[in-house]
Amino acid sequence: MKSSSPVPFPYLLLPSIWASRNRAQRRERGDVLRALTFGGIGLAVGLAIFGGTFWLTWQLADFGELGDYLLRAGLSWLFLTFLSFLAFSGLVTALSTFFLSADLRLLVAAPIASRRLFYARLIRTVGHAAWMVVVFLAPVLLAIGIARCAPYSFYAIAMLTIVPFTVIPVVVGTAVTFALVNIFPARRARDFLMVTGLLFAASMVILVRYIRPERLVRVESLPDITAFFASLQSPITPWLPSFWAGETLFASLHGGRDVVHFAALWTTAMSLTLLLAAAHERWYFSGFSNAQEARKARFTKLRGLERLASGLPISAVRRHLLLKDAKVFFRDVSQWSQLLLLVALMLLYLYNFRVLDLDRIPYMSGVIKNVYAFVNLGMTGLVMSTVAVRFVFPSVSSEGAAFWIVRSAPIGLDDFLWSKFWIGLAPVLVLTEALTITGNYLLGVDRFLASIAPVVVLFMSFALVGLATGLGARYPRFAADNASQVAGSYGGIAFMVMAVLFVLIIVALVGWPSSVYLLNRMRSLPMAASQRFEMSVCFLSAAAISVATWWIGMRTGVRALERLE
Amino acid sequence: MIAVHDLVKKYGTFTAVNGVSLEVRPGEIHGFLGPNGAGKTTTIRMIAGLLKPTSGRIVVNGHDLASEPERAKASLGFIPDRPFLYEKLTAGEFLRFHGGLYGLEGPAVAETVREMLALFELARWENELVESFSHGMKQRLVMCAAFLHRPAAVLVDEPMVGLDPRGARLIKDVFRRMSGRGVSILMSTHTLEVAQEMCDRISIILQGRIIARGTVPELRAMSGNPDDQLTNVFLKLTGGSALQEIDEIV
Repeated sequence: MKSSSPVPFPYLLLPSIWASRNRAQRRERGDVLRALTFGGIGLAVGLAIFGGTFWLTWQLADFGELGDYLLRAGLSWLFLTFLSFLAFSGLVTALSTFFLSADLRLLVAAPIASRRLFYARLIRTVGHAAWMVVVFLAPVLLAIGIARCAPYSFYAIAMLTIVPFTVIPVVVGTAVTFALVNIFPARRARDFLMVTGLLFAASMVILVRYIRPERLVRVESLPDITAFFASLQSPITPWLPSFWAGETLFASLHGGRDVVHFAALWTTAMSLTLLLAAAHERWYFSGFSNAQEARKARFTKLRGLERLASGLPISAVRRHLLLKDAKVFFRDVSQWSQLLLLVALMLLYLYNFRVLDLDRIPYMSGVIKNVYAFVNLGMTGLVMSTVAVRFVFPSVSSEGAAFWIVRSAPIGLDDFLWSKFWIGLAPVLVLTEALTITGNYLLGVDRFLASIAPVVVLFMSFALVGLATGLGARYPRFAADNASQVAGSYGGIAFMVMAVLFVLIIVALVGWPSSVYLLNRMRSLPMAASQRFEMSVCFLSAAAISVATWWIGMRTGVRALERLE
Repeated sequence: MIAVHDLVKKYGTFTAVNGVSLEVRPGEIHGFLGPNGAGKTTTIRMIAGLLKPTSGRIVVNGHDLASEPERAKASLGFIPDRPFLYEKLTAGEFLRFHGGLYGLEGPAVAETVREMLALFELARWENELVESFSHGMKQRLVMCAAFLHRPAAVLVDEPMVGLDPRGARLIKDVFRRMSGRGVSILMSTHTLEVAQEMCDRISIILQGRIIARGTVPELRAMSGNPDDQLTNVFLKLTGGSALQEIDEIV
């Protein structure tokens, strides 16, 4: 029965494959809704990407050589953007797949050759880190190929190009993780993640600053765009895999072959993988052993929080619940590092408003700015929903196996749930108010809108945080491994659907009367009594819907907890 | 079968294991006792190949763990205190995968898996997802996996946690049967009755050092009272004065 040869590395991927098959065979409640929601969103986004790329490529074809140049530069730029994303994604994913994943305790204790474990884990890392990039690139390249009537070989070469292109940055990211885990004691994983999170945020800002997308808005003719792309070129660009991938694909688009760059991609990917395999052989076990020591992590006592909480006019029970949740949140790196990334993305979003020089474009008058204010409000609502589903919805489930402590304590479950609400409301409110006020200030929107938007955001925050807390209590998943799993559950999806509907209704209810008011003012017309009445009805309806969503959400949650067995 | 020489593990300036040496002979059940934080789990995890020793040597079935890790691990079965199981696999799938890691393949594996599941009274759960198992069932499944490849030595960290009396009796029977076939078992436990009942020899570890070793009668003799229960012997050897303090407080 004993095998003469050891198991090949793909064998180590079997549990993931079997688990996926089992999940598909044994559907849980909400799986169909989840599949339809995510599938629908994915399909819509894919079609939008395909359509946009097809249209752009089609338009560029009219400009002959200049169009070709822009397409070529555009491909290189697209791959350059993905290069940094993949490196960072590889760095973070490798920490989990190579060092922290729970199944490693089983695999490392088994008699598996180190090299086999390495290849299995590397495939997993590349898969986890790169799937999003591949899913995005597929409709882009398909659209370019169809718009340019590319030969079939283009699609084959595209697939063969994407593989080494994704492997190279992920291997580099993994190598950095290997080094960091060996240099820093793994008990300082929190510091490590914080550094990487900040690095990523900084690199995103630098990248955007480097690209200066505002130039695209300023240009009034193609030569300016040409200059824009030319400015992206630097002496190191030809040495980057993004350039090689762009060149390879551009050549194959016309039926040609760029063997040099294609070979550069594959040889670099293979040699880096071999180098990493050697590094793995030499340093992996010491890094893994360090990672096992991570349990005694450093932590801060957060005394400031205690002082802050002691000043709050709330009961001792609520204060202790608040303090516990706040401390757990701040000591859980996986929680706040994701919030950090969200803040980085928000800064980028606001940065776009700063650099959009709308006044230079004649038809971008004040009206367009005010329309942007509503777009900003909608975006804020979506950010709010995303933050709520990721951080507030799982708050009850995050009690996990420790929920018995709360249930057996002499406290009301409403106290417990309201503490979850307040602790969730504070960051959501601060984040979204900052986003709204700063965004509107940078855009220079009308004073009326600038003053009404923060009030709307206040109401929306109460409603969405209340809904998330309540639904989180109604559909808890105490056995979930992490908050993302809870957010992706049936209840999480149901919340997202309701939240998006809520945001759309509120934006419509606030947007219509605001636009009536602004149009009247632009035309210097006085407001008719009927218009005032309709405006009041809309604003009051928005407020009433928000309050009802908030209150019903929380009531439902408390009742669900009381019924819980 | 398991030989450990001068094992040391340091975390920065803290020494968790300080010069531990022990030997588990073929067919021996060796108890590894000590208070919380004494270094039991750290020692066992080093022998299992999960932690890198700061210094010292570990030999399993004649293979040095540092220079021949695969051969050494192939001779070992490991039952951790907090076992990892793939929750979305069935019990049968998990065992077949685990067997594959140890080089078991072919049609005979399915038969062995069924035998082990029957031995640990899990046969009717073979096609159920692990996530639906109780803690005790998961514990028994991990034991199935540890014995599946017929190891020469088995490391067990806290075997009785979460088991009902029937499960505990079953595990004791299996361990005895395996030791009867020559399997060496190194077992860390807090359940002193289990150690007293099952172990041929016991090593007691305190603050990273082995402070006593021998059969139960030998340990009793060391404590100064040959008629003492193992609990009293353990408390005397590891500092039982704390109990007196508790009495004073309560």
